[in-house]
Amino acid sequence: MIHPLLPNQLQKTQETMRMAAEFILRPISRKYDKAEHEPPLEMEQLNQAAAAQKKETGMGDDSVKSMDLGGRSLWAVISLEQMCWGDVGLFLARPGTGLGNAAIMAVGDKDQKAVWGKRWAAMAITEPGAGSDSKNISTTAVLEGDEWVLNGEKIYVTDGDRCDCVVVWATLNKGMGKTAIRSFIVEKGTPGFTVARLEKKLGIRASDTATLIFDNCRIPRENLLGGKEEIETDINAAKKSFGGAMQTFDNTRPMVAGMAIGLGQAALDMTRALLSEEGYEDNFGGSMHTQTAIQSELEMLEAELEAARLLVYKSAWMMDNKMPNSKEASMGKAKAGRIGNRISLKCVEICSMQGFSEDHLLEKFSRDSKILDIFEGTQQIQQLIVARQVLGKSSSELK
Amino acid sequence: MQDYKTEHPFDITLSEEQQMTWDMLRKFAETEMRPQARKAESDGRPSPELLEKIKALDLIPLIVPEAYGGMGLEQDSVSNSLTLEALAYGDLSLAMSVSVPLLTAQIIAEHGSEEQKSQLLPEFAAGSIFHVGLGINNAALSTDPYQSSVLLKESGEDIILNGAKTGIAFAEEANSFLISASNESGECNLYFVSKDQEGIELESKEFMGLKGAPFSQITFTNCKINASQKLGGHNYSIDFQALIDSSRIGMSALALGVCQAVLDYVIPYTNERVAFDEPISNRQSVAFLVADMAIETEALRLMVYKAAALKDLDEDFHKHASLTYRFASHHGMKIGTDGVQLLGGHGFTHEHPVELWYRNLRAIGIFEGGAGV
Repeated sequence: MIHPLLPNQLQKTQETMRMAAEFILRPISRKYDKAEHEPPLEMEQLNQAAAAQKKETGMGDDSVKSMDLGGRSLWAVISLEQMCWGDVGLFLARPGTGLGNAAIMAVGDKDQKAVWGKRWAAMAITEPGAGSDSKNISTTAVLEGDEWVLNGEKIYVTDGDRCDCVVVWATLNKGMGKTAIRSFIVEKGTPGFTVARLEKKLGIRASDTATLIFDNCRIPRENLLGGKEEIETDINAAKKSFGGAMQTFDNTRPMVAGMAIGLGQAALDMTRALLSEEGYEDNFGGSMHTQTAIQSELEMLEAELEAARLLVYKSAWMMDNKMPNSKEASMGKAKAGRIGNRISLKCVEICSMQGFSEDHLLEKFSRDSKILDIFEGTQQIQQLIVARQVLGKSSSELK
Repeated sequence: MQDYKTEHPFDITLSEEQQMTWDMLRKFAETEMRPQARKAESDGRPSPELLEKIKALDLIPLIVPEAYGGMGLEQDSVSNSLTLEALAYGDLSLAMSVSVPLLTAQIIAEHGSEEQKSQLLPEFAAGSIFHVGLGINNAALSTDPYQSSVLLKESGEDIILNGAKTGIAFAEEANSFLISASNESGECNLYFVSKDQEGIELESKEFMGLKGAPFSQITFTNCKINASQKLGGHNYSIDFQALIDSSRIGMSALALGVCQAVLDYVIPYTNERVAFDEPISNRQSVAFLVADMAIETEALRLMVYKAAALKDLDEDFHKHASLTYRFASHHGMKIGTDGVQLLGGHGFTHEHPVELWYRNLRAIGIFEGGAGV
């Protein structure tokens, strides 16, 4: 049945998470934007609200009831969309879950899930010399006896300072390209593993972004996450191995796209609130002759946001229904990332000096939004993925 | 925050019946309509043979109630959207040759008085499709889309019409017209006007696109009709905004079909066209245009589905229909222009259909009352 709508219960989840965002996150938004690098202390409340919702709806697992409502990915997307309506930076600073957790749940074995599943796991991929081009990383992992020895530098690690452990991407042999790349779980406090510094950023200042150094850092052999200890010589097995690691992104991209949608909605809502104080009213469906410039602009932005939202919901729904969603996840991320950014910047412009002022949060939304079109795959990387799939191209044909 | 009520989970799967209809209509669009698009343009109308085939699809008799000789099948809005998308994939003018009469029959079946229905619906059921011309598009350019550029004055049982309506499909074939008119207090309703009525002037019009179907303008000069000629009878009031909103979902579904046609055309073209020793689609500047085309087309599809699904739930769909048509207008034209761009000089000529789609897509956002869901 074609029904791209949310059942009542999911709409209730939206409402509850929106309230949590409004009453827990909004009041401390500005405080932690100013106090960069200070861990927010009020976040436990938000975790409790999310856990209560999870329990009440029976969502967040693969049970029959959960699938009846549309599955846990869709549930997760709409929950975090609402939390990010509150504050993206604070949402990212929520203790307990990082991108590393998604990787552990996606590719970890039973023992690894049992040991690390409940720990806060960050994800360390990017290096000073390799960002989107993740197969070109130079952090190395060498097996010595029953230990892996890691050497290298990782940057832009979200939650890198506050987490319990980090999923680190490293190469077994730099000359072998992506076939030699593996990920490893490294616990905080392991000798040879240090947090070198924290970035000062344009936005999402409530969230810590760390540079990590691995200097002869020794970790247990069983901390290799997914994949084999040896480099596969069979080219297909090798491709599958890296592809497996990249598949984590099919799961996480709808989530990051959901963040951009929540933020975009927040900017539109706040703009309307400010405008309504000066008598503004929407005029959906009017023509160019009957709408004001602002009515027209807001209608178009709202349409773009709704389009992005539906693309993202679809990609999450596909994931819940075990359909390959790589193309759709990138479509949603591409659209939501650029629209979230465009909306937030336009809203500052519409609200003029009030938009630009730190009296309101519009200027903050417009700073926070930029990262959502960069991390978890930039706009250009998403377009590349979509283009390759639509045109049937390999990565060597369409570079 | 709850916008609508439903227990059904999120889903985007066609039902078995929808899939069958879709397959049949898409095939018809590709094999019967697409090859006729250029000829229809130069003739200014579909060939009689093609019209017979279009009529044989029975799309209109299907929705005419059994009491008036039809099959009385109530179609949901989502299924109607699928039908429109499938047909427009073939050609927009030819799709509108059936979507306009289909909308006319839908309006009469839903809002007509007993007398109006028994007078007009049996003809639709019997296969005639152009006997009532639908006049919704405003000739005056600054008129509110939820109002009419034809103004009416009531005096007793008489109604006096002044103003003009344009973009009326197959008007020459019609015996009567169903046109929108606004009164002084801003209520907009539909009225039947006979073709031989005094005070009307019919004039055929050429547009930059949609040339595969004939369109006309009607000008009313102190045209006097009777109050009983109001759709639904003289005490009836139509929700004109809802009518326009439904039509906007329909027009968006048509736009979607054309956008998909452009996308499906540029993919093999850019993969096969070689420049600088490799396919042009190996370049990001080309490939990213195609990627965006795919993204916005898919987004439009979901917007159309959602608007139609809201209508099927009997929920307020005004906002979503507005957003959808706005999106279709903006991105439809973007896709149309990128389609020509990707083919370069070749795209500018009649050797390829992209210039035709470009001209037709300009109608999206402008045309009202061209299709309904």
